Amino acid sequence: MRRGGKIPSTWFLWGGWVALLTLPFVGAASAVQIALAVGLGGIALHAARRVPLDSLASGIRQTASSGWSIAGRHAALLLGAGLLAMLTLPLHANNYVIDVATTTLIYVILALGLNLVVGQTGLLHLGYVAFYGIGAYTYALLSTGVHASFWIGLPAAMLAAALFGLVLGFPVLRLRGDYLAIVTLGFGEVTRLVLRNWDEVTNGPNGILGIARPSLGGWVLDTPASFYYLVLVLALLALFAMRRIFQSRIGRAWVAIREDELAARTVGIDVARYKLLAFALGAAVAGLGGSVFAAKMTFVSPESFTFFESVIILCMVVLGGMGSLPGVVLGAAVITILPELLRGVSDYRMLIFGAAMVLLMVFRPQGLIGSRSLAYEFRRPRRR
Amino acid sequence: MLVQQIINGLTLGSVYALIALGYTMVYGIIKLINFAHGEIYMIGAYAGIVSMGLLTLLGVPPSLLPVSILVSFLAAGVVSAAYGVTVERLAYRPLRQAPRLSPLISAVGVSIFLQNFVMLSQGAGDLVFPITFPLEGISFLGARITTLQIFILAASVLLMAALTMFINRTRMGTAMRATSQDRVMAGLVGINVDRVIAVTFAIGSLLAAVAGVLVGVYYGLVNFSIGYVAGLKAFTAAVLGGIGSVPGAMLGGVLLGLLEALGAAYISSEYKDAFAFLVLIAVLIFRPQGLMGSADGSGEKV
Amino acid sequence: MNRSLSRAIVPIALLLPALWLPGCGGKDEAVITVGVAGPMTGDQSKMGQDFRNGVELAVEEWNGRGGVLGKKIRIDVNDDQHDPKQAVAVANKMVNKGVVGVIGHFNSSCSIPASDIYAKAGVPMITPASTNPKLTEKGHPTVFRVCGRDDQQGKVAADFVANVLKSKRVAVLHDKTEYGQGLADEFRKSLGTRAEVTAYEAVIQGDKDFKAVLTKVKRADPDLLYFGGVYPEAGLLVRQARELGITAPLFSGDGTIDTKFIEIAGPAAEGTYLTFSPDPEKVPTAKLFLDAYRRKYGPHGPYSIYAYDAANILLAAIRDAGTTDGRAVSKKIRDSSFRGALGEIAFDPKGDVRTAPYVVWITRGGKFEEIASKPAP
Repeated sequence: MRRGGKIPSTWFLWGGWVALLTLPFVGAASAVQIALAVGLGGIALHAARRVPLDSLASGIRQTASSGWSIAGRHAALLLGAGLLAMLTLPLHANNYVIDVATTTLIYVILALGLNLVVGQTGLLHLGYVAFYGIGAYTYALLSTGVHASFWIGLPAAMLAAALFGLVLGFPVLRLRGDYLAIVTLGFGEVTRLVLRNWDEVTNGPNGILGIARPSLGGWVLDTPASFYYLVLVLALLALFAMRRIFQSRIGRAWVAIREDELAARTVGIDVARYKLLAFALGAAVAGLGGSVFAAKMTFVSPESFTFFESVIILCMVVLGGMGSLPGVVLGAAVITILPELLRGVSDYRMLIFGAAMVLLMVFRPQGLIGSRSLAYEFRRPRRR
Repeated sequence: MLVQQIINGLTLGSVYALIALGYTMVYGIIKLINFAHGEIYMIGAYAGIVSMGLLTLLGVPPSLLPVSILVSFLAAGVVSAAYGVTVERLAYRPLRQAPRLSPLISAVGVSIFLQNFVMLSQGAGDLVFPITFPLEGISFLGARITTLQIFILAASVLLMAALTMFINRTRMGTAMRATSQDRVMAGLVGINVDRVIAVTFAIGSLLAAVAGVLVGVYYGLVNFSIGYVAGLKAFTAAVLGGIGSVPGAMLGGVLLGLLEALGAAYISSEYKDAFAFLVLIAVLIFRPQGLMGSADGSGEKV
Repeated sequence: MNRSLSRAIVPIALLLPALWLPGCGGKDEAVITVGVAGPMTGDQSKMGQDFRNGVELAVEEWNGRGGVLGKKIRIDVNDDQHDPKQAVAVANKMVNKGVVGVIGHFNSSCSIPASDIYAKAGVPMITPASTNPKLTEKGHPTVFRVCGRDDQQGKVAADFVANVLKSKRVAVLHDKTEYGQGLADEFRKSLGTRAEVTAYEAVIQGDKDFKAVLTKVKRADPDLLYFGGVYPEAGLLVRQARELGITAPLFSGDGTIDTKFIEIAGPAAEGTYLTFSPDPEKVPTAKLFLDAYRRKYGPHGPYSIYAYDAANILLAAIRDAGTTDGRAVSKKIRDSSFRGALGEIAFDPKGDVRTAPYVVWITRGGKFEEIASKPAP
């Protein structure tokens, strides 16, 4: 793109090309408009790059980067302010904002769990949503079947998901890279199909209705605000548990496996055990997210656990900056909140969302917060 | 019934195989699971339907059916190839040195974008192919095979043969094989790697477009969301055969089609997709490199 | 870690408050807003857009007559992508915006969780398409549906099959969705022992190839195929059945009565039976709507008519109640009866239509026509 920007006419060539591409779909008139838009937009960009605007742009960049370093320097202060803002959110937000914030926090939990498997241990997992679904259905069935409380359902959901994590983990220990990806994908799809087709237990496509909200000593958390606080606490707990475990021996063993499995084995790391542990722990976190989701919706159906959902959670992990916990949090926030912000443009919102994903990746391939120390993870395969 | 199911499965499978080829070729060369490939297939199907509609508007008589089908194949192929090459240029090439998962996310973005682009420009409803083939078929060992099914099988076999020839016999094919084995080395010996990658995307997209038009003609309808399921199935087929391996993709596609047909017939129609995935998982557990992927690492380089 | 965590907080701090912006445009007292919710993007967006078109036309007509309560009406379209959690988000959003009522959602899995939000806020919700009986069994006084329930529709079909067609061997298929499977199961239940169900199979929504299932069905040698599902699958199903040499007629529900069904199936559509409301073309007011719809958006889908009726019911109830207060409007909806494009509509205490006026239609000469209530010769 940058090279193309040097000569204005290339922009018109691009415009003409895009117009040709879109011609069969949008018709001649719109195609010409698109060509002009691309051409003129490109030239505007080009012009902006050389003339005074340039200094403005660098000014903005400087402000941003100094803001960045201020953010770095006054970390504790900002963290405190952020925490305060999150704690007081329900006081000044309406139900819609609280609902979106709650959903964001659920995704933060899920993305943290997936990051453990993909970012930390380097196992590309495309069926993560299966554990999310298992967790959600476990609590749903316990709640509607035997009226178990959320505080029993939550650990049960985590346990069930972890068990399935092991079930998946054992046979795929040998698999690597993209083969692992497709097996996990297959596992995810099979799980969804079972949820959808096992009518006697899961009630098939109709889903399970009337799941109880959590309660704290007789106080039922059925307002959006109270539920938000519950999820906030769980998300913070998950975040700090992750942080602890990544700094521990286990976390370092995972990184070693990610960077070079053979070398890890040579220095005496029990690769199989640590991989299984990663699968099980990641699954347990997904189960936690699932039970919270079920409690929030009071309704679960197989539609919430599609392959696309797995992909979206993966996007959160990668987009924010893989391996970096703050990056994962940011990724989850961006991917949940951005489509909500785009509701204003109604029909175009997913179009813009898709384009935004491509642009973000092209301009920040290492993720929004790419941690430099981990920048070489998932590098191109080395030739033998 | 068994013969009929095999015919059903072969037809379905040859379409999967055509799409899977695109996945596998792209993977072989840049190690990218091109999640947007299903959308390229969908674009091809739309281009086919639009060109066929244009031909009908221009008053091409029905007696020239083979000609108009050929023209729409060409149109779809060209449009899809253009899309494939453009997507590679804009969304993947800048990420060639990036962390491995970044282009994957970029591909997901492309996929969402293209789906919504077609939905917005062509409407959310199904488009119906303007021509219909006669429904009657010939009887064969107690089963029925329609002319269209024969046509699909023949077209797929022809294309796969042509592709194999291209890869093994031409200079460009040799360059592609060299690039997939070692991109840096290929560049050093004077292969224009960017061009080879572009050609790979063009060919993969062209095959997907042909599959799109075939499916459009066969089933009679097209909508903007067909790429998702087809892409998922074709990706499965590509891995089943051994991703990166061209004959593997063909075999994987046909096998997947057969598995689905036989699974739906003899086990459970509700679980037919699960059945296909379970077989895939079993195959990968016993042969982690896929059916035709080579174990020495030239198939799998991750 | 603290450092980069705080860096993550900055963009989030910028993102989250932006959510307030659309909500706090300040209530415009001169207009009232009707919410529309359904899948506007994604693979089911055709249905959502049918919704929007139907509501849009109804609102245009009302605005042409001067609006309601002296105010102009505006619609607020919201995309739930048939995703339950997005349905809840848009429900909250609409409630915050102060909509006077919601037409939606499409999928029961979205309507059910969203209905809790509407009920809590006292906003009337009328779904044109969610047929899951559980939606109205939650006992919310503000929840209504204008489409019939699966059991009502299945019974009409089963009676016709047993009494008029006198089929003996029936193959039942469904698309494994809450709608399709629900309908197929109710049909089967209602049919009881009056005919033998020789095959009971599922296809997958979104698939294009049903030959494997149909080959199996052919072996069961049915004299009727019943399909619970919507038109794309129904069209493909009947077309592929004919290709395989199955001659038994197809019988399907209101999700199939879309001109696309005939386009997809081609000649194979001939002789297909469907259950649907009595012909709206014969209702003079509906005729106007249908013509206007065709001019503006092309052929109507089944749910655009339901959505049109739902919007009219909501607006008429607001007019009659003289207020936009949700609970008063809901009470009005429950207590009165409305003359819509689909005939007389009145609600029972649960919020379902009192009489689901299903009749049997047939596809003949490339068109849908209602079969006279007397058995056809």
